[in-house]
Amino acid sequence: MPELRLSMTTEARTVLTDLLRLIAPAAARVSVNRARVPEADGEVAAFWTETLKAQAEEEARLLAVAFASAKGDPAIIVLRNEAQALAFLRALSAVRMALRDLVFADIPDAELEAAAELDDETLPTEQRHALACYTCFGLLQQSLVLQLDPEAFD
Amino acid sequence: MAKPKIKPEIKTESVVAPAPKWNVVVLNDPINFTGYVVVAFVSVLRIPKAEAKRLMRQVHEEGRATVWTGERERAELLALELQQWHLSAILEVDA
Repeated sequence: MPELRLSMTTEARTVLTDLLRLIAPAAARVSVNRARVPEADGEVAAFWTETLKAQAEEEARLLAVAFASAKGDPAIIVLRNEAQALAFLRALSAVRMALRDLVFADIPDAELEAAAELDDETLPTEQRHALACYTCFGLLQQSLVLQLDPEAFD
Repeated sequence: MAKPKIKPEIKTESVVAPAPKWNVVVLNDPINFTGYVVVAFVSVLRIPKAEAKRLMRQVHEEGRATVWTGERERAELLALELQQWHLSAILEVDA
C-alpha cells in the first residue's frame, strides 16, 4: 500500500497540537471509563483495563508525534503503511471520544451526530473551540477512511 | 443384621449441558463515522465489506447489532478488539 497523507493548514496543525497536549493526559482515563469491561471475571476485567489503558497511552503518543512532525504549509502527516494508518484512525477516534466526554458531555447525542450543522453560536467559547477541533479531527479521520477504502462510506 | 443378598442396581447418568453461546453486540454511538465502523468491522471480524456495511446500517438504524455469536473466550476477545477501535461493544449470553 502506498503511503497515505493527511494535510491541514499550519494554523489548524498548531491549534490541534495545542489541544492534544491538553487532552492527552485524560484520554486514557476516558477510554477505560467508556469501555464496558465484563465484571464477572476479575482476571478478564483487569486484562481489559490494562490493555485499553496501554493502548490509549500509545495513541496519545502517536498523535503527539504525528502532529509535531507534520511539516510544510499545508502541514502534512505521512502514514507509511496500513497498520500505521489504522492505528492513526483509532487514535483520532479516541481523541474525539475524550473531547465528547470531557468538554461537551452536555450536548445531546442527536445534535453531536450532526456536529457540522450544530448552532455553536450559543455555546461557551471553550466548547466552541473544542467543537471546531472535534470537527477537524473528524475531517482528518474521514479523509483517511476514504484513502484506505473509497467505498467504506455509503 | 443380615446383609442384603441382592445389590441394588444404581444407574448414574451424567448430562452435559452445552456451554451457552455469547453474543458480541455493538451499540450505536454519535461519535464514530459510518465508514470508520465499516473499516473496524472488516478489520476485527474479518468479514466481507458488504456484510460489514449491513451490520453498520443495523447499528445505526436500530441502535444495536449482534456482530458475532459463539464461545465465550472468542467473544471476549472480539469485544475487546472492537473496544480498542472505540466502538461500544458489549457481551450478552445468547438467549
